[in-house]
Amino acid sequence: MAQHSVIDDLKKSKILELLDQGKRLDGRGLDEPRKLTVEVNAIPKANGSARVKLGDTETICGVKIQPDRPFPDMGDKGIFICTAELLPLSHPSVETGPPNPDVIELARVVDRGIRESHMVDISQLVIEKNKSVVGVFADIVVVDYDGNLFDACSYAATAALLNSTMPKWEMTDDGPTLVEGGESDLPTTTIPVSITMAKIGNHIIVDPDGDEWASMDCRVTITTDSDGHIVALQKGGHDGFTLDEIIKCSDLSIKAGAQIRETLKNAVKAG
Amino acid sequence: MGGRESTLVLLDENGIRCDGRKVDEPRRIMIKAGGLKNADGSAYIEFGDNKILVGVFGPRDVHPKHMSNTDTGILRVRYHMEPFSVSERKNPAPSRREIEISKVIKEALLPAVILDKFPRTAVDVFIEVLQADGGTRCAALAAASVALADAGIPMRDMVAACAAGKAADTIILDVNNEEDQAGQADMPVGYMPNLDKITLLQLDGVLSPEEFKKCVKVGIDGCKIVYELQKKALQEKYFQNRGDQ
Amino acid sequence: MDNKRKYVIPGDVVTTGPYRPEQNVILEGNKIISTTIGISEIYDDSVKVISLTGKYLPQINDLVIGKVISHSSLSWELDINSCYVGFLPAQDVFGRDFSAHADELTSRLKSGDLVAARIANSDRTRDPLITIADRDLGKIDSGDLVEISPSKVPRLIGKKGSMIQTIENATEATITIGQNGWVVVTCESHEGLLKAKKAIQMVNEQAHVANLTDQVKEMLESKGES
Repeated sequence: MAQHSVIDDLKKSKILELLDQGKRLDGRGLDEPRKLTVEVNAIPKANGSARVKLGDTETICGVKIQPDRPFPDMGDKGIFICTAELLPLSHPSVETGPPNPDVIELARVVDRGIRESHMVDISQLVIEKNKSVVGVFADIVVVDYDGNLFDACSYAATAALLNSTMPKWEMTDDGPTLVEGGESDLPTTTIPVSITMAKIGNHIIVDPDGDEWASMDCRVTITTDSDGHIVALQKGGHDGFTLDEIIKCSDLSIKAGAQIRETLKNAVKAG
Repeated sequence: MGGRESTLVLLDENGIRCDGRKVDEPRRIMIKAGGLKNADGSAYIEFGDNKILVGVFGPRDVHPKHMSNTDTGILRVRYHMEPFSVSERKNPAPSRREIEISKVIKEALLPAVILDKFPRTAVDVFIEVLQADGGTRCAALAAASVALADAGIPMRDMVAACAAGKAADTIILDVNNEEDQAGQADMPVGYMPNLDKITLLQLDGVLSPEEFKKCVKVGIDGCKIVYELQKKALQEKYFQNRGDQ
Repeated sequence: MDNKRKYVIPGDVVTTGPYRPEQNVILEGNKIISTTIGISEIYDDSVKVISLTGKYLPQINDLVIGKVISHSSLSWELDINSCYVGFLPAQDVFGRDFSAHADELTSRLKSGDLVAARIANSDRTRDPLITIADRDLGKIDSGDLVEISPSKVPRLIGKKGSMIQTIENATEATITIGQNGWVVVTCESHEGLLKAKKAIQMVNEQAHVANLTDQVKEMLESKGES
């Protein structure tokens, strides 16, 4: 519904005016993300889970790990699927029904960020080649909206996967059978961290909140891994970036990404 | 589900249930009013291992317009379970069970809400089950009532809810997941405590006429316990810190 | 809290007896029942509950702050932070000789603009009618929009305007309070603006506190970071 997505013009002008002075409405620096809190094991019955608050944006990811049939031409690989859903209680403008292109993009970008980093090594998820593999499902839901769903969802999924334990199955005549006491931590290889930056006027800001998201000209989400390599990138929005701006964003994503990575690691240790 | 032991004792010789409770004891319940930034009203409940979040919007414009009512506001309820909320991952698409429960909860809330001052609007109740463990519809209904009050939707009473049932030939209060699967009857009850009216009632199982009467009464007793916690949740948000700081 | 005032939630019995039920209460048998979370008040012959939550319900002549969200060729639609969308006809701005062909609505007001407006009419059968045709009404050219709960508006105004005057005097800000909970704050000094906004939030969060005006005064007079 239109009314809830219309930002008042005075606020929009104010945001630009402040940026010209190197400031943001909520007092943050241009390179500064909002406060991030991560609570792992929020859904104890899932194999792994995390509840994330990035400023006032809140997301929850639950990981379910269960046996599945492999994809037709990938009998020696397990399955990793990441989904994201914008819940209607997160914002008055969210409608129920099939997802719109924004939400589909969100889900696919978050999925790619984790998949391309090879965080979950799917070659280690085989029960019996071509017959039975382990499926790892990371389902993310957005519970409250205040901008930058890309990062909030990505952090929830990454933390939930780091928090996950995987049961052990072996093939018997009855199919894949649970081995009691065979649980282990889900093997992960790296910690992908996405950083989303928005362009407003000539300024690049990290982690736009709801008002900044409604005022931005374009945005880019860049995911880096624990080695500082860039593994995924998505540009969106109605305007464009210069090459210098994109390079600046890539540097920012590595720097800010490293700090977020520490926050995620500490949260998982504490949980 | 393969591999589950059938040696589960639902009720032992001391009258203790499989999770340590007595027959008239509900699981641990915690209700919080508010919590969501964008919803007009919200509530969160933990009922045993159930974890449910409810957000309310409204009264607000109805789209498409033909769904609106010129004399009164309408109530819409969506009960939805997250894929990670149950043992085996659930497909995100709405199931028939969710659709039925949405309707049953709506009809449990309708007798309480007063919407005739808001013609052409809708009040939307969004229920999200984050973790399920038997009795979700009762927990959801109790939280929805708190969320509606939090949103300022006029109501003639709160709606409390709790399930009663039968296991090991005994009427029990607040059926958990194991008791639901292996027991003999499950009866969710929704109840307006001040008006003394039952607004949600379902039954799954076999009860004699005597057991049936007892079961409904036990369910209502459970609802009264839940009502006190609903009151507490609203008092904590709205009536704490009164007087000088 | 004396005998005549109680904290109530929906379904609570406020009192029994021959009282006239006023706002936020209903009569069930001989019981007067609250329909909302709030504070009940019993007068000689009537009972009401002051609600602590809920949306703004448009009343004729209320001053409100609105945000333009869309328009047709004949009118604008305004978000007035209510259950209903406000309806501002083009004639209100262009005058009686408004012509849909000649007069372009966006030349005066477009999506995202804020206006100080009045509720001209509000009945059950249609969306509230808005007017900006008075001298003190119209498009808002500068200022920050602050949202408070509509139920806190009387507290922000204060007895005979005491609270709002306290804030304006101490900060030199100009504050326009919409009955719908939207408040516009303008101030030449940035520090004054921040202090005024902080004071408004204080009232929103602590409206129930007995000596709030004193506490707000104290906060406004303190030096240092806001």
